[in-house]
Amino acid sequence: MYKRTRFYDFTYYNFIGSWAWILHRLAGLALIFYLCLHIWVINSLTHGEAAFNNVMAFLNGVPFKLLETGLWGVILFHAFNGVRIVIIDFFKGSLVHKKLFIVLIAVAFILWALGSYLILQHVQWRAG
Amino acid sequence: MAMIDISVKILRYQPGKDEKPHWQVFNIAVEDESTILDVLNEIHWQHDGTLAYRRSCRSSICGSCAMKVNGRNVLACETPIHRFGRKLKIEPLSGFDIIKDLVVDLDPFFAKLKRIRPYLILDKPAPDKEFVQSPEQLEQIGESTLCILCAACSAACPSSWPNSEYLGPAALLKAYRFIFDSRDDGADQRIEIVNDKNGVWRCHTIFNCVEACPKKIKITEYLSRLKVKVVENSL
Repeated sequence: MYKRTRFYDFTYYNFIGSWAWILHRLAGLALIFYLCLHIWVINSLTHGEAAFNNVMAFLNGVPFKLLETGLWGVILFHAFNGVRIVIIDFFKGSLVHKKLFIVLIAVAFILWALGSYLILQHVQWRAG
Repeated sequence: MAMIDISVKILRYQPGKDEKPHWQVFNIAVEDESTILDVLNEIHWQHDGTLAYRRSCRSSICGSCAMKVNGRNVLACETPIHRFGRKLKIEPLSGFDIIKDLVVDLDPFFAKLKRIRPYLILDKPAPDKEFVQSPEQLEQIGESTLCILCAACSAACPSSWPNSEYLGPAALLKAYRFIFDSRDDGADQRIEIVNDKNGVWRCHTIFNCVEACPKKIKITEYLSRLKVKVVENSL
């Protein structure tokens, strides 16, 4: 008998449900990473006002503002797919789970675009 | 009907001879309306008699011939080759150990099924004649009774792949089928078994089981009802 290694089967076809699950997990991990980063930034307060202001100035740069729009996207995906899972488990959503995914992610995308617009408005673009 | 040339890539494993599974390609001619099982039979009968696979009824009711074809779990006997084109990639079901070629060890699958006690449990004496069930009571268990135990759902479940302790969709569906059966008195015992981290709560609503089920049973819907029942029971 050949013992199979027990891990994710990457050769299996991914349907909408499996993509939603994979992305939900990845989004969750990304949010844990963000939380650590957030705690590190707040920790700079313990080193005094100047240290905190230095970190904040660094984080107000264009790359971090772009990353912030990514963070906003990850939060929205995780939240809206989480709502989808609750609807599936407790409100008979499993019968329409694909439509639910498309509708909720479309709403999340609109919110992402609006939020990203607001975030990028605060960017200090270089003149020129 | 016309003959077509197809390429069939099969994951082979011969115990005692192979250390690990390897791919073997067969280029053969088959009728265009063939099923996956016809293709395997053609290879077995005309090209390589050592190819091992399970089959029995040829009518998608015995559940023997579930296997992975081009990344999806199907019953070989009911699946036409034109669904996948002229290149087939056939593997044994994921998550189960391989006995030989496409034959997997289903003992763990049936052991999990036994754990949820898949039979009527009665506290009261059985009626003299038949049990009476109203259409509404039958509707409650509905298509959950149609499961043919082919294991396609459990083998498609990403929660099952890394965790051999997880009961899996087939056993949980069977638990639903008896917990919601108006004739059964064993609901409390079964709810205790499924209310576990490796029971119904390991279902992450991925829906691979529903996509894989050859009987089109809405497994996730039934498992969701089971989750609600477990919560209600513990209130």
